[in-house]
Amino acid sequence: MVFSKMRPIGFSTGALAYADFMQGLSIIRNHNLRTVELSALREEELEPLIASLDNLELGDFDYVSFHAPSKLKRLDEQKVIELLQAVTRKNWPLIVHPDVIQRFERWAEFGQLLCIENMDKRKPIGRTARELALLFEKLPNASLCLDLGHVRQVDPTMSVALEILEHFGGRLCQLHVSEVNTNSQHDALTFETALAFQKISALIPQTIPIILESRVTPDKVDEEVLNCREALSVLAAA
Amino acid sequence: MEPSLFKDLDPIDALATRWSLKLDEIWKAREQARSQRQAFKDVCEKGKFLTQDTSVVVFGSMARDECTSGSDADWTLLIDGEANSDHLRVTQKITSSISQIFNAPNPTGSFGGMTFSHQLIHNIGGAEDTNANTTQRILMLLESRSIHGVGDAAYGRVVRGILNRYIEQEVSNLNREKTGYKVPRFLLNDVVRFWRTMAVDFASKQSARGGLGWGIRNAKLRLSRKLIYISGLLTCFSCALDVDLNSQINSERDKSLQVVNHLRKAVKNTPLAVLASSLLLYDKDGEVTRNVFNAYNEFLGILNDSEKRKHLQNLRAEDSERDAMFIEIRRISDAFQNGLDKFFFENQNIKSLTRKYGVF
Repeated sequence: MVFSKMRPIGFSTGALAYADFMQGLSIIRNHNLRTVELSALREEELEPLIASLDNLELGDFDYVSFHAPSKLKRLDEQKVIELLQAVTRKNWPLIVHPDVIQRFERWAEFGQLLCIENMDKRKPIGRTARELALLFEKLPNASLCLDLGHVRQVDPTMSVALEILEHFGGRLCQLHVSEVNTNSQHDALTFETALAFQKISALIPQTIPIILESRVTPDKVDEEVLNCREALSVLAAA
Repeated sequence: MEPSLFKDLDPIDALATRWSLKLDEIWKAREQARSQRQAFKDVCEKGKFLTQDTSVVVFGSMARDECTSGSDADWTLLIDGEANSDHLRVTQKITSSISQIFNAPNPTGSFGGMTFSHQLIHNIGGAEDTNANTTQRILMLLESRSIHGVGDAAYGRVVRGILNRYIEQEVSNLNREKTGYKVPRFLLNDVVRFWRTMAVDFASKQSARGGLGWGIRNAKLRLSRKLIYISGLLTCFSCALDVDLNSQINSERDKSLQVVNHLRKAVKNTPLAVLASSLLLYDKDGEVTRNVFNAYNEFLGILNDSEKRKHLQNLRAEDSERDAMFIEIRRISDAFQNGLDKFFFENQNIKSLTRKYGVF
């Protein structure tokens, strides 16, 4: 395989170490990856992670993003927005599931750093270009985190992915990459998924950071990065 | 009523121990099959071919634990998910990835391509139920294994879906007296139909291929193909005989579900293991066991000898009467059949079921 350029690829801390961002960071560092997403996907992870932000020493990473909680049960929306200001003060993209948002005008204040993620089949919003358009109307400056696993689960032909990229490619901030299985869980990439991702890889600029969400053990990290690189390779012209 | 069938111990091992059988060829074929399945699995894992919505399923000798010299790899990509044009490319990639390791399946047969769950589950009988669909459905139940292994969602879902179709359609799962479960006649009839189809196809292939491969196909029909059929019969009979299943007859739990659960457990066994489970329970003096298992052991020994296999491969029907190898096959298959006749027509537990379900 010949790669025209090396895409920046890293991992979500939550994919590698459930509810333990320090362990996740340690695994990512051990594999010399310079792209990371700090995960507070579960609500209870948010406050401890925010409290640690200034002590994490992330200078060896070229790209850092932050994943906000995907469900709010204990914390109210306003409290979460206040906590997340610590993230945007660092100028890190803030990855948000759109179904968390109730008061759009408050989230819109994050501007371009607010990065809306497209959703899997289970969610009634944010799955297709049409559904994303409704969100971007209310969040005019927000960027896009395109979750390739989610969009492939919604449409294995990748036509929906193409449509999203055609309409919102200019908003693209980062990718989420993994296999999303029938139960909507994130798994390691398969050959079939790689074939699907190859269909849209040429539309994704080489500079866009890729965050792997595949739940793999530390010994499989390098293999997963390689599989991702192959799946999203744009072959150099002969 | 006898104790339960399909316990966790290996019934062939148990049978060999009980009757001091020397089954070296069966053990050898089993080891070869396990090794081949592992090799196939390694290829699939390396190629990242295994997903939640698809399963690589093997059939034939590799699934039956009966790999011998020259065995080919009968497999299919079973798809139980959204339609996707990439499935064809995955199938082609699997074909090329295993081509160095395994003999390719018969190009005109039912294997080496894609199989879709909806057809297997919904097209039972009727004009849409083609010969290939019937074959794949029954073999999926009686002699298949998923390369994925335990926890394989697609394969497990489809096998259960097929069993559900057969059982849900029964008016009642109980006998008339409501004292026990009955033999699932819809499934049994399809097993019988499959066996007759195989036998008719044998004649059809003889004509279509100008007699080529007659000897080996005839030997397989007499032994390994017949074994698949009798394992299907015994699996169906087990619903009426199994103690564990029938002990739950008064439970509040859904009766169809209990039968499906029982059958799901049963069809995880190889055909030879299904036969062994029945013989362990019902063959009290070991006479049938010795006839059947010694014959089958000899048969696998012949298939595992590449010269003998090749001889059978080249043997035409018109030469068979005077052919020493075929006379040997006939002796072995007669011993196998004598054992089966005794079991199905004379055994106290089995003969009434054979009479009730096996003919009309």
